[in-house]
Amino acid sequence: MKYTIVNKETCIACGACNDVAPEIFGHDVKGNSHVILDNNQGTTAVPEKLYDDLEDAYEGCPSESIKIANEAFYGNAEKFD
Amino acid sequence: MSRKDQVFDITIIGGGPIGLFTAFYAGMRQLSVKMIESLPQLGGQLSALYPEKYIYDIAGFPKIRAQQLIHNLKAQMEQFTPTICLEQSVEHIEKQFNGIFQLTTNTEAHYSKAIIITTGNGAFKPKKLQIEGIEKYEGRNLYYFIDDLNKFAGQQVVIFGGGDSAVDWALMLEPIAKHVTLVHRRETFRAHEQSVEKLKNSTVEVVTPFAPVELIGVDEIEQVVLEEVRGTRKMTIDTDAVIVNYGFASSLGSIKNWGLEIENNSIVVNSRLATNIEGIFAAGDICTYEGKIKLIATGFGEAPIAVSSAKVYIDPTADMQALHSTSLMKGKTI
Repeated sequence: MKYTIVNKETCIACGACNDVAPEIFGHDVKGNSHVILDNNQGTTAVPEKLYDDLEDAYEGCPSESIKIANEAFYGNAEKFD
Repeated sequence: MSRKDQVFDITIIGGGPIGLFTAFYAGMRQLSVKMIESLPQLGGQLSALYPEKYIYDIAGFPKIRAQQLIHNLKAQMEQFTPTICLEQSVEHIEKQFNGIFQLTTNTEAHYSKAIIITTGNGAFKPKKLQIEGIEKYEGRNLYYFIDDLNKFAGQQVVIFGGGDSAVDWALMLEPIAKHVTLVHRRETFRAHEQSVEKLKNSTVEVVTPFAPVELIGVDEIEQVVLEEVRGTRKMTIDTDAVIVNYGFASSLGSIKNWGLEIENNSIVVNSRLATNIEGIFAAGDICTYEGKIKLIATGFGEAPIAVSSAKVYIDPTADMQALHSTSLMKGKTI
């Protein structure tokens, strides 16, 4: 199982993750990216068929704001930093 | 005084859209301008991250592609003659006893009466290959940017990456290089459908899903070792040049150490866009004040304020308010 969350403190709202993984990432009212699967709580496992997209988004993020872990984040993007 | 030690009126740190417009406006206010940019190209995020995307909130343009906006801003700026320094990151700023700022970059020192910081979300650098000991190949035959395609004439080139730029570079090099190999860690490419279609019909050899694990060569890379992603297959290919296109990483970098007041990774400025250090101003996404909105449109409004504030700082007899551009630019031809 893989979970993901966007650290909104460091996200620069460039939209790169929205482009490469639109089924995982959208943007909030401020334009920052967020995980649409669980309203950026990091509690819903990412479907396995989207793992490649997730990795593209993770690698493409210029501010290292996308976090991935094998456990849920429960809304805390820095939980495993 | 040698040119190297020339003191400029204004040094702009950051060559994104706001930096470019700041340079234009400073030129129009008859100030000498130097611009320092960390990447080998101007345009900031717009060129590096989303050149093909449309922007809809630039005054006077119902919509405009990011790269076209940069193209226009450069043309506007080039009505004057700013000195552009690419591939330099400012590491240290010091106000000397005579009031002139010394800006030290990774390669040299610059001198300026005033500074305007327009670094947006920080300095962008290409993401590097995560392989130990590759630094020795940098500056030799390992590239993160292409500035001259002809350099690769008759060579066997290997490109790593799966985005638009990687595919575009592969296609651009196809007729020039002897052989082009494009290596991507997944079967599909993120690039535009049209480019991927062209790629399929080209002579570019596509190797997927593989990733580089080792570079072999004494002074220059002679071979790259690739390993199958989630697999065990390995292959070694001969090469004359390796080009890496893994996107960019941004960071505020050393700005935090310059003695500026920083709040949430932004530089605090007043209504004149002045920072807490006299003579240093900031505009665009890097600055913050009550009511700040991070938009290109707002940055364009901040640029003339920062330039005029800097002008008054340099020459206290100058007016904050400039003449209208129609008067200032009389006789200029574009």
